[in-house]
Amino acid sequence: MGAYIVSGAVVKVDRHFERGYRDLAYDVVKECPDCLDVDYVVISSALPELTAHQVDLSTHIAQWLGRRVPVVRVESGETSGLAAVDLAASLVSSGRNRRVLVLGLEKVTDYPTYVTNYFYSLILDYEFEVLRSVSPPAYAALVMKELMRGGVKRECFSSWAVKMHENATSIPHAMLRFKISYDSFKDSQVLAEPLTLHDSFALGDGAAALVVSSSPNTNASSVEIVFSATEVGLPAYLRENISDLTASVKLLKLSLERYGLDLKKVITELHDSYTPYPIAILRSLGYLDGGCDLNEFEYLNTSGGLKARGHPIGATGVYQAYEVFKLLTDRLGSKTASTDYGLVHSMSGPDNVSRVLILKR
Amino acid sequence: MKLSPSQFWRIRESQYRLIITECGSCGRKSVFKRSVCPFCGSSNVKHVESEGFGKVLDVTKVMYRWNSSDERPPLLVGVVELDEGVRVVGEIVGVGDNEEVKEGTRVEAVLRRYASDDPYGVIYYGIKFKPIKTA
Repeated sequence: MGAYIVSGAVVKVDRHFERGYRDLAYDVVKECPDCLDVDYVVISSALPELTAHQVDLSTHIAQWLGRRVPVVRVESGETSGLAAVDLAASLVSSGRNRRVLVLGLEKVTDYPTYVTNYFYSLILDYEFEVLRSVSPPAYAALVMKELMRGGVKRECFSSWAVKMHENATSIPHAMLRFKISYDSFKDSQVLAEPLTLHDSFALGDGAAALVVSSSPNTNASSVEIVFSATEVGLPAYLRENISDLTASVKLLKLSLERYGLDLKKVITELHDSYTPYPIAILRSLGYLDGGCDLNEFEYLNTSGGLKARGHPIGATGVYQAYEVFKLLTDRLGSKTASTDYGLVHSMSGPDNVSRVLILKR
Repeated sequence: MKLSPSQFWRIRESQYRLIITECGSCGRKSVFKRSVCPFCGSSNVKHVESEGFGKVLDVTKVMYRWNSSDERPPLLVGVVELDEGVRVVGEIVGVGDNEEVKEGTRVEAVLRRYASDDPYGVIYYGIKFKPIKTA
């Protein structure tokens, strides 16, 4: 028995001031008629206790949607979404369930940005990092500096952001559907030197739904989940080299080798909360050695990535999986792909935990 | 910010002192008082206290605002390698306007305020690092 993604929908990542968790859940399942024909629901969300004062979110969402099926919430920081897809795949491939709805939900725009920044910072170790004034952008800046010491030019990080914005222009559900230029970095607000706001993800509310089934759709619009794995890394401050994102690199290398894939050819959604992270990962995998030409990659973050599609923290992994599913089975915005495999990568913080999913047409 | 005094009290040894965990199995050292070695998972560990001196491996000036600290940006956050060969992350304070903290700057651990509940509430202190002035 296998695990197949057979259906899905997303809402635009945005500042949905008029919509709460319940509304976003309703909005996304409304776009996916067979999303409620399931025997289990897995909700991924990272921050509802902090942003909505809501414990047991999954039960309340199920009640709101009028569902009486078993429901559970998965939380694993920024990787919550892929963790939820992984759980759903386990449930159907083990034979326990027939069809599982994975519902990624996050509501992050109800507070001033600095308050949400604090909530988001709690993906780090509260007692040993956050209390010591260490925040996610501080780590990203330190990774960036380490890469620059190793010869990576500032323009390389900028080129990632420029490319992501360009990709997002044709994605209807992307938050930032406009292009940026290299010049715009000069005026971009500094988060932590040398990291700027343009190097950072776009923070938005979001909801994404996928149905994971034990059998493929008869009309062939489904993809098989052929690989799903997780690796926990060392705390960043204990690493020999802070730019070594070893958990991600190990999982991606394993995935590429096992399935004979090349990131230049395969559909890939790479976690890019901050521009230094994908650059570090690609270099560790042997790409970008001679420079920083991202056009070598045919289907890299077609969505615009966390940078431009946006990053609704605990829902992002579900968005990524949906985007790869759509590219493999149909189209994503105006984009199509002629490859049989797609790869999704997610990580929390500076590679504290990483997850990889491989989908096959 | 509201912190739980009991939560802070539980971790006081790792906040007020620089405790190093030495692993008897893999031989590696890590900062903070731990029951298990983060490198190999062994519980064959012992704890020693750092002398509190080290050098900056890298530092960034953080301009990003978040409210976990009473302090407002900018603040310096860096990775420090203690003389015992262990790395720790934290804030670097006591840097004058005309002073520069960079890779290799010698620092010492000092006790400084992390946060307070409110003007009449509990004040939480912990380790930060300060450059060692040379004559």
